[in-house]
Amino acid sequence: MSTVSYDSNTKLISLHNTTPSNNDENDGSMLQINISQINKLTKSLVASSNIQNLTPQPSQETGKLIKNLFESGLKLTKEKKFQDALKNISLAIEMATRNRAPWEMFGMQLQELQFMLRNKIDLHLIQGHYVDALQDLDLLMNTNMLTVDVFIRRIDCLLKLGQLEEAKATADRALALHNNETKLKALLLQCNRSLAEYNGDI
Amino acid sequence: MALTYDYDEQSETWPFFVLTILLMIIVPVTISHIYHLFAKSDGEAEDGNDVGSFESLSDKYTSQEIKQFRKKFDRGNNKGNILSRRNILLMIGWAFVAFLIHRINTNDAIQDSVSSLFDPYDILGISSSASEREIKSAYRKLSVKFHPDKLAKELTEQERTTMEEAYVQITKAYEALTDELTRQNFLKYGHPDGPQSTSHGIALPSFLIDSTSSPILVAIYIGSFVLLLPYVVSKWWSKTRSYTKKGIHVKSASYFVDRLVNYKPSEIVTVDLMLKWLSYAEEFKQFFPDMKPEDFEKLLHDYINRRDSGSKKLNMAKYRIVAKCHSLIHGLVDIACGFRNLEVATVALDTFKCIVQAVPKSPYSQIEQLPNVDMEVFKNGMTDKIQTVGKLFKYDDEKIGKILGIKDNDQLKETLQVAANIPQLHVLRADFVVPGETVVTPLSTPHISIKVLLRSAKHKLIPTEKFPAEMLEEPEDFEHMRDPFASMAKQPLVPYSFAPYFPTKRRNTWCCLVALQKDNKIAQTAMNIERLSFKNLSKHFDKRTVKDLESGNFNPSDWEIGTIKIPLGQQAPKETGNVFFRIVIKSTDYFGSDLDITMKMHVQDPPKVEEAEDLDIYDASDESELEDSDEEDESDSDYTDIDTDTEVEEDATDN
Amino acid sequence: MDSDSTFNGTFNGSNNTYSNGTFFEFNEEKVETIPLSFYTPFVYAAIVVISLWIFSMYHKRDQIKKMSELASIFDEHDARDLYFEVKEMADEKKVHEKVIKAALLNRGAEAIRRSFKLKEMAPQIEVLYKNGSVGDEYWQRYQTEIKLNEVEFKETIQEAESLQSGWAQNFVVLCREICFNQALMRRYQSILKRKQVCISEWELNIANDGRLITA
Repeated sequence: MSTVSYDSNTKLISLHNTTPSNNDENDGSMLQINISQINKLTKSLVASSNIQNLTPQPSQETGKLIKNLFESGLKLTKEKKFQDALKNISLAIEMATRNRAPWEMFGMQLQELQFMLRNKIDLHLIQGHYVDALQDLDLLMNTNMLTVDVFIRRIDCLLKLGQLEEAKATADRALALHNNETKLKALLLQCNRSLAEYNGDI
Repeated sequence: MALTYDYDEQSETWPFFVLTILLMIIVPVTISHIYHLFAKSDGEAEDGNDVGSFESLSDKYTSQEIKQFRKKFDRGNNKGNILSRRNILLMIGWAFVAFLIHRINTNDAIQDSVSSLFDPYDILGISSSASEREIKSAYRKLSVKFHPDKLAKELTEQERTTMEEAYVQITKAYEALTDELTRQNFLKYGHPDGPQSTSHGIALPSFLIDSTSSPILVAIYIGSFVLLLPYVVSKWWSKTRSYTKKGIHVKSASYFVDRLVNYKPSEIVTVDLMLKWLSYAEEFKQFFPDMKPEDFEKLLHDYINRRDSGSKKLNMAKYRIVAKCHSLIHGLVDIACGFRNLEVATVALDTFKCIVQAVPKSPYSQIEQLPNVDMEVFKNGMTDKIQTVGKLFKYDDEKIGKILGIKDNDQLKETLQVAANIPQLHVLRADFVVPGETVVTPLSTPHISIKVLLRSAKHKLIPTEKFPAEMLEEPEDFEHMRDPFASMAKQPLVPYSFAPYFPTKRRNTWCCLVALQKDNKIAQTAMNIERLSFKNLSKHFDKRTVKDLESGNFNPSDWEIGTIKIPLGQQAPKETGNVFFRIVIKSTDYFGSDLDITMKMHVQDPPKVEEAEDLDIYDASDESELEDSDEEDESDSDYTDIDTDTEVEEDATDN
Repeated sequence: MDSDSTFNGTFNGSNNTYSNGTFFEFNEEKVETIPLSFYTPFVYAAIVVISLWIFSMYHKRDQIKKMSELASIFDEHDARDLYFEVKEMADEKKVHEKVIKAALLNRGAEAIRRSFKLKEMAPQIEVLYKNGSVGDEYWQRYQTEIKLNEVEFKETIQEAESLQSGWAQNFVVLCREICFNQALMRRYQSILKRKQVCISEWELNIANDGRLITA
């Protein structure tokens, strides 16, 4: 009946025949996901000092660490060292996902992630990593961040990746939500032009 | 009046009984059968869409195996068959009817009882439409003959009694026709003397009710009413209950709903995922109880990649399940619409295309759906990135042959014909229309009206402005306002598709999805378009030869404009303002036949009717309001009109 | 007519129950009086009623069994299973208290996620059911699921209370936040897989460092 085994040193559970470190690979099955979630909760519980009285209050120390990493990334961006900047910002995001307890306020965690992702996206775009940028942009859109600049970047990515129909659909939606943005209008014209060429209509 | 129940010893009544029942069944069935026979042949004429050559082309590329499959399973083909089961049963039925009628006619007992009917006209020897005078005179003549006092003395006793009886009859007859009371009796009871002894009979011969066969009869009754009838009804009922309105098995529908409910963000929606879901359909399990979903999935993948499945049995199984996918995917799209999931619905429709054309989903699907294409040559030799049929047609025929790797000239011609006949839709005008009103008012019930130009990829694109506004207008008559969707039904049925790999002959459908731009989710159930005129496909307007519209002899009235009308599931909102919709129209059979447009619903208060002196001002502002909404509705002409750009570009790049 | 007299004869037989003239009695040319007792109709009615009652009992039992066997709307409840497993393990060997709490928090978060999902699904399932796109069976499963989920959540809170007294309220608050954060994390973790699917579907050419290589 038991499918999991417990390691009393690390206090983590895992599926039989795997070790906790393997678990984080996350092969996608719900069982595996749940195990990782439990392990993360255990880690956070172990790390937290006041376990009798847990609150959703975001932790100050983690916040500080994240902020430091993030700001160092911004500094590197200013210095045009894009690769290193990207590394730092990615690390900051990693730290946020790893060290923040799952019970810390969702709204705050979401905002933090979104804010950092935006910078990450720009860094990706500058270096031509369109697929990565697209994935991050999709996450922003899925979490309801539907601002003009997110749309602009997504349309740009899709155009560069050759997904013209999807780009046009995004442009349509962007204009539906933000009526008078001239940049969006220009992008839509560009999409249409590209589509016409793609379909042999020009 | 003794109520006696006689059994039908002399076979007087049971023939009528059986005859009635038989005719009750046979006559309607025969009529409907004949009607279907003739109606089908009419429908085949396909009012307007003459693409007979396309159909024969599709047949040409259909493999022998599939033709065998069709013969076995396609029920539609059996209609013309003289020896089909239905025809035989009908003929047997009619033969039995004839036998019964003959039996009745030759049955003495029946004839007797007929003759024992009282017919006053017959007795008096006059026609049934005789006038009163004639009746009187006939009576007098006959009564003179038959009156007992007037009879000759030489007659025998027997003869005398006969004459007397005859005289009585004649008197009765006369009275039946003239005397009020007698006449009433005659009309009511069929005899002037009043109610006769009536015998009630049971229309069954007695041998059936005999002591020997009566247990058997009772057993038959019990069997049929207590056992057979409930069994048949419950079987029929459970069969009806186990299929959803969309025609798929309830368990398949439940499975699809399960998948949609448990859909995880890490599971990206792809054609492969759709195929995986399809392989769990209950219908497949019922067809082939010993096969598992993994087997079905493998068969589906084999089919899409045009691989042989190994054995003849597996191949036939493959065709059978693929043919079933039609209703399954429609059911899946319906459920996805219920869950407002635009992504799943669009990918399901893409899967449909993949299945119909037996082409895997890739950026080159539009090219791969054409016959005779050598994909290796195509992919390796491509200099200019071609992914659409439209772009393919920018090259001349010979070059196309080289690009697609088609060496044989006849094959190339056929491929080009197929490519030129793939329908593509171009939006000319899209509005929200409230019948009877000029604008969309709060809480009204608008519907979507899209004017499309169905064209071939070979045609040069005709910009919207070239079509005069009158061609794009809806007629304003009463018929139209009463039922705006009637005009759609007048369009001809879509012709058969070019789908040589699909097990059955099929027609293309366009599936219309309506979504809200606000949350990018579907707003109502999908609607299927089955009627559009394909006339434009036969026009010659080759983009390679026609340089610009004027020199190409472009005459807008030559072109057929199609109408797509989509009813909206909800009323317009209560407040004025703008609501943006995304309309996705996807074809089920062809790649590259889709539409994806945004429409703005401008909800405004109805234009006021003011007094005379203000009329001028209001007219102007009304007009401008209408103009605005027209412009805005006309596919957002400011920034989506490809045409203005292309013209500018053409001018710029000319020479 | 012969049958007349015989017909009258059978009716005059004493102790005959008044029957509605079945074919038996009319057609018999020999007079056969079937002796029936006075209690026959009562016995008959009793048999019918009792058999119907027994049948309905069996049928109901069948239905209940079928309903309980109906699958849940959601796929397996891993969170719950895992919690019980961990708890079991705690009986055998030494499992740290925090692990049990972690498993319980996970279970609570999952219950909240499901209740949100069920609420979101409600209008959609209703529309599908009314339109006949979905069978009765699914509708029943859905209704059952709502109730079961409520029960499950209550049980979870009780467990929390038993692990640490007074924790119940705080527990619910924590579970809510955990639920949302876990959803965000799952979505975030799926980025890598999505990227792979994108690249293969669109047949893109990506260099090692992530740059797009255009042909």
